[in-house]
Amino acid sequence: MPRTALRPLRDRVGSITSGTLAWIYAALLIVPFYYFIVSSFKSNDEIFESPLALPGTWDFGNFATAISQADLILAVANSALTTVGALVLTLLLALPASFALARSTGRLGKIVESVFALGFLIPSFAALFPTFLLAAALGLFHSRTFVVFLLPATALPLSIVILTSFMRTIPRELEEAASMDGASTLQVLRQVYLPICVPGIATVLLLNFLSFWNAYLYPLILTGPDTAQRTIQVALPTLKVDAGTDYGVLMAGTLFTLLPVYLVYTILQKQMQRALVSGALKG
Amino acid sequence: MTALTDVAAGATTTPETPAPPGRGSRKSLRERFPGLALPALIWYAVFMIGPVVAMIVIGFLSWPGMLVKPGFAGLKNFGRVFADENFWSAIGNSAIQIVVGLPVMMVLAFLLAFYVVQKPRGHKVLRYLLFIPALISAPATAMVFYAMLNPDGLLNGVLRPLGFDGTAWLADPSTALGAVIAVELWSGIGYSAVLIASRLDSVDAEIVQAARIDGAGDWRIAWGMYWPIARDFIGVVTMLQFLSMLFNSAQTVLLLTQGGPGTSTTTLSYLVYRKAFVETDLGYSQAVGVILFLLGLLGMGAIRRVLRATH
Repeated sequence: MPRTALRPLRDRVGSITSGTLAWIYAALLIVPFYYFIVSSFKSNDEIFESPLALPGTWDFGNFATAISQADLILAVANSALTTVGALVLTLLLALPASFALARSTGRLGKIVESVFALGFLIPSFAALFPTFLLAAALGLFHSRTFVVFLLPATALPLSIVILTSFMRTIPRELEEAASMDGASTLQVLRQVYLPICVPGIATVLLLNFLSFWNAYLYPLILTGPDTAQRTIQVALPTLKVDAGTDYGVLMAGTLFTLLPVYLVYTILQKQMQRALVSGALKG
Repeated sequence: MTALTDVAAGATTTPETPAPPGRGSRKSLRERFPGLALPALIWYAVFMIGPVVAMIVIGFLSWPGMLVKPGFAGLKNFGRVFADENFWSAIGNSAIQIVVGLPVMMVLAFLLAFYVVQKPRGHKVLRYLLFIPALISAPATAMVFYAMLNPDGLLNGVLRPLGFDGTAWLADPSTALGAVIAVELWSGIGYSAVLIASRLDSVDAEIVQAARIDGAGDWRIAWGMYWPIARDFIGVVTMLQFLSMLFNSAQTVLLLTQGGPGTSTTTLSYLVYRKAFVETDLGYSQAVGVILFLLGLLGMGAIRRVLRATH
């Protein structure tokens, strides 16, 4: 950068430090990746002896072992089922609610809205045990089904805040014209609001996709020890064993769990970044 | 306006109907009572608010195990909690995690965001990289660090040739908590930086340019201009990370150290988990949950106070 040497020393030091810090952090992000990707092709001995070297042979054996040992294919299927189910349910609940809240003019609407907004403050994790009791009471303990019911509840505050603010931007005249034409409330929602809210819906979907797919503690407790029900995040740590973890297999399994998210991120990079940023902004 | 024409096509009246003046068509209750919000509200009450209320109730019950019938305990659980050394070491660990970890995370994230918004060479790559931790699940992050920090892992593999003695980072009481905090920093800094950068992007470039012409350098521009402007937003991001550290450290701890060695990595949220699901001391666990909840509220208040807008 073309800067003069007249600037105070402190400032030059400042810009050098922030740049250095930035690239050190970037290295700290990349090195673990590099390490775990090469490790997933190595044996324990190779990993321990030369952690940063490329693998001698590109052997996919670790992947096969990881997949069969932790039943990862089934786990991916469970995760996909849980995630999609929870996403659909979230939209089914959040869309009509946001629609109603965006249109409502009275006090009740404001109260309901602030109830959802306060949800950001609820440490749902601390209430893990009562949630577990609830699952037992509903007879849905040790099943994916309860996770599908629960995840949308955790996502409702953020989803509703985002969608409501989106729907507020829609001029009332548009809707009134439609209802003059005889459209019912649900038709107005479906045919006027939904098409305009597509970017908001995409934001909510991406945001929730990440948090549902990556959820760990809830599924761990709620699906319990049943390997037929567990999600990928619950299955992965089972590759770590107290004595003699096979790190190559563990890293191969980790890489395997990241593929779907990475795929979605690469395809939808721009939208995803925007979703993450605007999601947290509201929070 | 395809949406509008779709609606019109399905209706009997002419599509040219102009928008009527607003007040005439006010329809009633429907406008004032958001009935369509009811299903979401009920869902939310059952699955989120209900369990939190139950947590508070159970905090006052004597309930030493799932199969035992609970009785009323009053404040006895809290008495037990406050008399327990494990609780105080958990308080200490959570305090270190937040008092040390949080400021480090926010300052580094701010500097990183400041650097990125100056658009130096490679800033696009940097922005892409900063997102990585936000995409990765806690188990995947933990497994990678578990592999790197084991006695034969990457860290020792790098340190040994340099002449340092490695250690079992996660099993050594003097480094275990630091390792857990480092993992949280690793995943939190980049994401916070991206969020803060999105705010800094909107800072007026002309003011910055003017300041530069007046001879202000990066350091002064960062702390003298960007920081005050973004201060309240940084407050929001700080709250977000504060809550996530305080409440979600349980999963990182569970995956990496199970609270050990001894109690050196037992944080408050992990204590809630362990008492409930490992030791089935339910009253105790939920009493800590209530304390955690209150600490969360207190901390949020404090952060708001320190980082509210001043300009």
